Amino acid sequence: MHIPDGILPAAVSIAGYATTGVATYYSLRKINQKENPPEGIPKASLLTSAFFVASWIHIPIPPTSVHLVLNGLLGVVLGYYAFPSILIGLFFQAVLFQHGGLTTLGVNAIVMGMPALLASFIFRLRNFGGKESQLRTGIFGFLAGAFGLGIAALFALLLLIYTIPTYLDVEVERASIYALTLAHLPLMVLEGAFTAMVALFLQRVKPELLEG
Amino acid sequence: MMMKRKILVALFSLLTVLKLSVTAYAHGVRIEYSVNLVVEIRAAYDTGEPMAGGQVTIYAPNDLSTPWMTGICDEQGHFTFSPDTSIPGIWDIQVRQSGHGDIVHIPIGEELITSGGTSYSTLQIVLMAACVIWGMIGTALYFSRRSNQNLPNRRV
Repeated sequence: MHIPDGILPAAVSIAGYATTGVATYYSLRKINQKENPPEGIPKASLLTSAFFVASWIHIPIPPTSVHLVLNGLLGVVLGYYAFPSILIGLFFQAVLFQHGGLTTLGVNAIVMGMPALLASFIFRLRNFGGKESQLRTGIFGFLAGAFGLGIAALFALLLLIYTIPTYLDVEVERASIYALTLAHLPLMVLEGAFTAMVALFLQRVKPELLEG
Repeated sequence: MMMKRKILVALFSLLTVLKLSVTAYAHGVRIEYSVNLVVEIRAAYDTGEPMAGGQVTIYAPNDLSTPWMTGICDEQGHFTFSPDTSIPGIWDIQVRQSGHGDIVHIPIGEELITSGGTSYSTLQIVLMAACVIWGMIGTALYFSRRSNQNLPNRRV
């Protein structure tokens, strides 16, 4: 999921930075249009630290192992704050954990940040055409968490598959990329369930936090 | 008859001289040497799991755009190769598998560093992560305090 330095061609990295620039500008503008923009910063800051350490938690799914991402959860709780939050989290992950890289920071922000915004949109659908209920929050929380991660894995798959250098054994590399992407299916269920649990908990104790 | 003996003596003398000179030449010893440098790398994920089957690409310092050599790590994530010592400089070795990977830079030439790696120690990582998390908690506390101050019934 975190694409490191030296894997992607320079053009893709530059395009990633350009797209991230636009997405960050759009997210910050949307945040600025809120009634009280700094109000969301405490929860954004705390969830950035959760996102930051989540990549250190590895889950073995034979034959490989995957790690938590939590981008769907960030989308659900933070809304537009999720994108800058993920960008900051990824920066620290690249510098300290060597998860991802500085040249691929833009690409990784798009890979994980865009699905987070999609997750936020999916979660807002819970209020569509009916009264908010525990069941709807649970279902839409699950879908947001699962799709947030699933779409991110799909983005990473597409980026990697179409940029395999010809001097490598392309078939072997392609097979291992498919295997790693498939390993994210159980993680989708896990992150979906976790997001649903957090959403239900917040709805019970502090529902205003979910307005994201 | 006398003539024949002279020729034989001359021939013997010549052979003796030749033999001596051959022997003398064999006393001069020449030793040539070449050091075959072998670089061994071990690639593993940060979980400690070896990168079995990881694809290795080696770039020599004189051409960083075309791979000098490619290969595959064994089951333990090991790969060995002999760099061409006539190309001194920083050699870049990349190992990748399913979009994950890293690059290690190995100086080869006059200043040889015999071992190295690309990762931080666990203690360094824990310490740095703790600093970042504390910074984020601090940010959260700072902004929540500011928002509390806006409340009309705050306690001073």
